[in-house]
Amino acid sequence: MTRPRSRIPGTLTACLFAALTALPVHAEDLTMWVRESAADPGKLMVDLWNSSHDSKITLTAIPDNQMVTKLATSAQSGDSPDLVSFDLIYMPDFMKAGLLTDLTEQLTADPNYATHVQAYKDIATYEGKTYGVGFTPDVSVLAWNKDLYQAAGLDPEKGPTTIAEVVDHARKIRALGGDTYGFWFSGSCPGCNIFVTSPMMVAAGSKMLPRNGEDEALTGDGVKLVLEAYKTMWDEGMIPENAEVDTGANFVSAFASGKIGIAGTGGFLISLMKRENPDFNYGLTLLPGAEPGQVSAFVGGDVVAIPAGGKNEAAAREFVSWVLSDEAQLQGLAKNSILTTRTDLADNEFTKGNEKVLTTAQALSVGYVPWVFHFADMVNSDSSPWITMVQTAIFDGDVDGAIETARAEMLAIASK
Amino acid sequence: MSTRRNALVGLAWLTPTLAFVGFFVLWPMVHLVWLSFTSTSLLGGGQWIGLENYRTAFGDPKFWAAFKFTLLYTVVITPLLMGLGLALALLVSPNTPLRRLTRSVVFLPVVIGLASSSLLWFWLFDQQVGLFNQLLVDLGVIDAPVVWFRRAETGLAAVIISVTWKVVGFGMILIMAGIQSIGTDLFEAARIDGASRSLQVRRIILPLAARSLVMATVISVIGSMLAFDQFYLMTGGGPRGKTFTSVYWIYQSGFVRFDLGYSAALSVILMVVIMAMTVLQLRLQSRRRR
Amino acid sequence: MSVATLALPPKPLARQARGWLMAAICIAIITLMLMPLVMSFLASFRPLAETSAVPPTYLPSALSLENYQKVANYQQGVWTYVRNSTVVAGLTIVLCLALSVPAGFALARFPVPGKEIWFVLILASMMIPYQALLVPIYLMFAKLGLTGNHFGLAILHTILQLPFSVYLMRNSFESVPKELEEAARVDGASTAFQLRRVFIPLALPGMVTVALFAFITSWNEFIGALILMNTESAFTVPIMLTGVVSGDFGSVDWGALQASVVVSMLPCLLVYLALQRYYVSGLLAGAVK
Repeated sequence: MTRPRSRIPGTLTACLFAALTALPVHAEDLTMWVRESAADPGKLMVDLWNSSHDSKITLTAIPDNQMVTKLATSAQSGDSPDLVSFDLIYMPDFMKAGLLTDLTEQLTADPNYATHVQAYKDIATYEGKTYGVGFTPDVSVLAWNKDLYQAAGLDPEKGPTTIAEVVDHARKIRALGGDTYGFWFSGSCPGCNIFVTSPMMVAAGSKMLPRNGEDEALTGDGVKLVLEAYKTMWDEGMIPENAEVDTGANFVSAFASGKIGIAGTGGFLISLMKRENPDFNYGLTLLPGAEPGQVSAFVGGDVVAIPAGGKNEAAAREFVSWVLSDEAQLQGLAKNSILTTRTDLADNEFTKGNEKVLTTAQALSVGYVPWVFHFADMVNSDSSPWITMVQTAIFDGDVDGAIETARAEMLAIASK
Repeated sequence: MSTRRNALVGLAWLTPTLAFVGFFVLWPMVHLVWLSFTSTSLLGGGQWIGLENYRTAFGDPKFWAAFKFTLLYTVVITPLLMGLGLALALLVSPNTPLRRLTRSVVFLPVVIGLASSSLLWFWLFDQQVGLFNQLLVDLGVIDAPVVWFRRAETGLAAVIISVTWKVVGFGMILIMAGIQSIGTDLFEAARIDGASRSLQVRRIILPLAARSLVMATVISVIGSMLAFDQFYLMTGGGPRGKTFTSVYWIYQSGFVRFDLGYSAALSVILMVVIMAMTVLQLRLQSRRRR
Repeated sequence: MSVATLALPPKPLARQARGWLMAAICIAIITLMLMPLVMSFLASFRPLAETSAVPPTYLPSALSLENYQKVANYQQGVWTYVRNSTVVAGLTIVLCLALSVPAGFALARFPVPGKEIWFVLILASMMIPYQALLVPIYLMFAKLGLTGNHFGLAILHTILQLPFSVYLMRNSFESVPKELEEAARVDGASTAFQLRRVFIPLALPGMVTVALFAFITSWNEFIGALILMNTESAFTVPIMLTGVVSGDFGSVDWGALQASVVVSMLPCLLVYLALQRYYVSGLLAGAVK
């Protein structure tokens, strides 16, 4: 109703061509956008909601790279959907820009919110107010190929527990020769590496990104340790050549091809493999640090939030609460081999005996998520300080210089 | 009187298009220029900051590196496209069945979207699953599959191969149109005079097909200066940001880093450069004619 | 320059050899040009397990429609997107013709004052990075209620395609012989009548060319469609394809990629082959004064 559609030509055009495009929309129906990568689990959740509620949600998948653009432009024109599920990493920028509805009161009163995974609570809170909840989680883990372990004389049931072991195992698998390689990472994919490489640095005691100009960036020995380990593997040819230029195209398929011993990956691999290659023999473990027992993970996935100025706020709020309910968590997520976002439900009838899902659940509880503004600029853009550091250190060999440069650039971005 | 009336009638026919262009192109363009004087963020907010964005732009080494790379790309691909286009046009302009077929097939990729063709070639060039690499290996051209996008030079070469495949037919058709319009009697006369083929090309074809050649060049230069999709999809700007084009950088600034005002300023700069280049090309052409 | 040395006409034998050489070159070019398309087409029928096989094979070991099923079953089902794309492309064709025919007519046949300036103005939108212009256009469309409907998207695609269309129609009308026009004028016919009865039939190939290119542009345009449309049920084919192909962190589903490339190309290729006869002469007339 409040849309600025008062102009006569606008109304006219709208009337004239309504016939071409009009879709019958029920008054209580909600619209929801979800980023492409999270569309499958998102759809499972929405279908479940629709089967038991009067107000129906229509889901629209938006390609990952354009989600922020789409959301930001729609916010300026008043075309926002009622609900949105997006990469949690953009939460700080969106909260600061005032694009989202404050849900603090509702959530603090919700008993289910008490057991919500801490990382999601953190990332969705800005200046004491909370603007969203974890929706469809994902978390990074380390995958190893059991068949190749067997062939290389390694224990196929035991993945690496330290970074040094990763290198050691990778070397033995590479020794099998031919087109079998020890390790894989997507060397030109900023997002992949913050997801699977940075947790190893964190596990080994480093702090990654600065929250503002006065903060610290890339502290501790972890960063250097991991970069040097990668460099060793690269120099010794344990990593396929095309890893250097991979912008993520082979992030999943490299390991899935069966020619890679070890690779960082995400919980999404479980359902993907189940669907496309059920006989693939692999294991999952937590991303390791320098010493055994040091572990970490990157908590990813989507948060659900309500864009400011939505037309169906009440119903949308109801959905947010429902996301944390037992029904949604168990029937919507767990039943479909997806992690729950409530810690008290992590161990449930569906995950029993499924070692891989339990590993990811554990990763979710020990994982970290960086709370920073300008994440895209610092990390996700194609020439960000983060990816430049990874590349310069590993492929060009200047580890210390790379870290130094990246630190300075990150601090400059953070102080904007 | 009649001329004046004709002018009015002509203007009347032209009015709907001018109104459309004024409303849907010029107005947004003015808005874009206005944005370039502000610190507008994609996420909302921002204020008037005068020439600040332009000052930043002129001191932004990454933008100028991208601009230089775009120029390099344009300078390499334009003669290639025009040369191949001309050669193909000469080859296929006779109306024999085989040459007509060749013409149709060469033009085929023109009707495919640039994004589709870039993805297609991205796959073909892939070191592991790409068939182009495999084919080169099987033909003995290379020993093992090559990582094309590892170095800026080979990455650029890969993009150029894919783009050439995609658009060479367009230049070919435009130039062929010029050749076919010449009329057979002129060639007949030339042949009777005993002029060689190369002489015919130089003295008859080139001058008479000049207009279409220039148009094809202008379109190709503009297209290359605005190159984005092919690099975005194939090189991702890598390695180490060496294959960023101007528009790629504009896209990054506006849509990834949310700095809409700054990306508007870069767009305005690029627009001015392209317009100047276009005017220059057309000028040079009309001078040569005189 | 050495004209005289080359003056001898080629002997019949040499001429025949030349013919064979030319034929060989033609066939080589055809092979080169078709190869990527054929490779992609064959690869699209590979079974799922084979799509990321290393090293790749030229021929699929078995024919499988699994990749196409992925495309067909995506979200709303492929036909929703095909229908939307067809509607938008149809509207774009109509708009492009409705604007470029009168404009081309005026620029070619009337002494409009400031003609070349208007012409350059119409061509100007070719020289701006389209991605940068998108946000201002979007904000304006939002005010006019043109976001979220296919007509708005068709206008956007018309903005992209108009410069080339006007250029082509102008040249098409210019190539109509002067005498015909004068004959019509003597008869005292109105300009509208002249346009309809004399010019349009002669410029038909040009119009078909305009329509063909409008179709291609509209059918393949991605980012504008994504920004302008708000619901899955209104999305067009390129958005669907991007969705099918890309997974987490930009990972590419190679099998889906082959199938989508084929799906996106096929309508364009068919339209092109069907209209070939027209558009070649259209470009011929269009490109030459």
